[in-house]
Amino acid sequence: MRRAAVIGALLVIGAMLLFAIGKMPAMNSRNTPDKTHVIPRYLEKGEAEGGAKNIITGVILNYRGYDTMGEVTVIFSALCAVVALLDREKRGLSRSGPDASGVRSSVIVRTVVRFAFPVILFFAVAYMMLHGEGSPGGGFQGGAILGASVIVFTLAFGLPESTRRMPLKVRIPLESTAMVAFLSMGIIGLAYGVNFLTYLLPGVHGAMAQTVRNLMLTVIEVGIGVGGGVIFISIVFAMMREDKYELQPDVPQP
Amino acid sequence: MNWTLNLLLLLFLVTTAAVAIRLRDLLAVAIVFSAYSLMMAILWTQLRAPDLALTEAAVGAGVTTVLFLITIFKTTRRED
Repeated sequence: MRRAAVIGALLVIGAMLLFAIGKMPAMNSRNTPDKTHVIPRYLEKGEAEGGAKNIITGVILNYRGYDTMGEVTVIFSALCAVVALLDREKRGLSRSGPDASGVRSSVIVRTVVRFAFPVILFFAVAYMMLHGEGSPGGGFQGGAILGASVIVFTLAFGLPESTRRMPLKVRIPLESTAMVAFLSMGIIGLAYGVNFLTYLLPGVHGAMAQTVRNLMLTVIEVGIGVGGGVIFISIVFAMMREDKYELQPDVPQP
Repeated sequence: MNWTLNLLLLLFLVTTAAVAIRLRDLLAVAIVFSAYSLMMAILWTQLRAPDLALTEAAVGAGVTTVLFLITIFKTTRRED
């Protein structure tokens, strides 16, 4: 009975969705509003207004700069939540030490990681972040790859070694880079008397304006990348950490 | 666009999605899900969205898989 009801509901919803797809404009149709208005506008004026050779970066950092800043805030909030729940190393509430599973992986894995790690790191920083305004990629992707490279290192060499090379006092200032870079670049616009997150400053003209804008965009990209990457690293470190403290009596044993 | 390649990718995508739902071994699910993300990343490049493809490959196949794996090792591997 219940199964039949579920199947019936699925069929009805599926039929409605298929009907809606039938009403959609055909794929690659040239008459839809996004093809007649949005894309031409971005392609014609994107580089002049957005300030980046890669239109996607221009859209993300300029047309939708507030949206991107909100995303950065969300990532930072995620770190705050994880640290509040899991990571007690900062507050000394417990004898929580590095993960006990400090077992080193096989020599093959360690050798491969030793050679691959700098290449991945270089790709993340040099191609993704620094060249993000002219090619695919950008701060978020670069940050994810930066974090992933350190995680690969951690998986091969263990958490104690990783936390020794990236101690807490290095990570704490880096975690806030994304927010700090975004906000400070936005405030530069305010200081010049224009809107928040404006990269075209009044009184700066010609090639200088282009240079200043590229510089600001690069600072934001690198800030998002380093900040996002280190936040990811900190979240994973906090999750891998093994809590050695005794459970409170009122906490049910798992 | 190469439609046979796209068809194969889409079929593999649907297969991995179905397998990820059916499997009871959560470790295997995480790996299959990462394969799903990889297929999705290739499809994004086929749709001429390289930015999205990079995001999918880095976040979908990399970051979420790592988080899933750590969670599985901290909790339990079997789904009952």
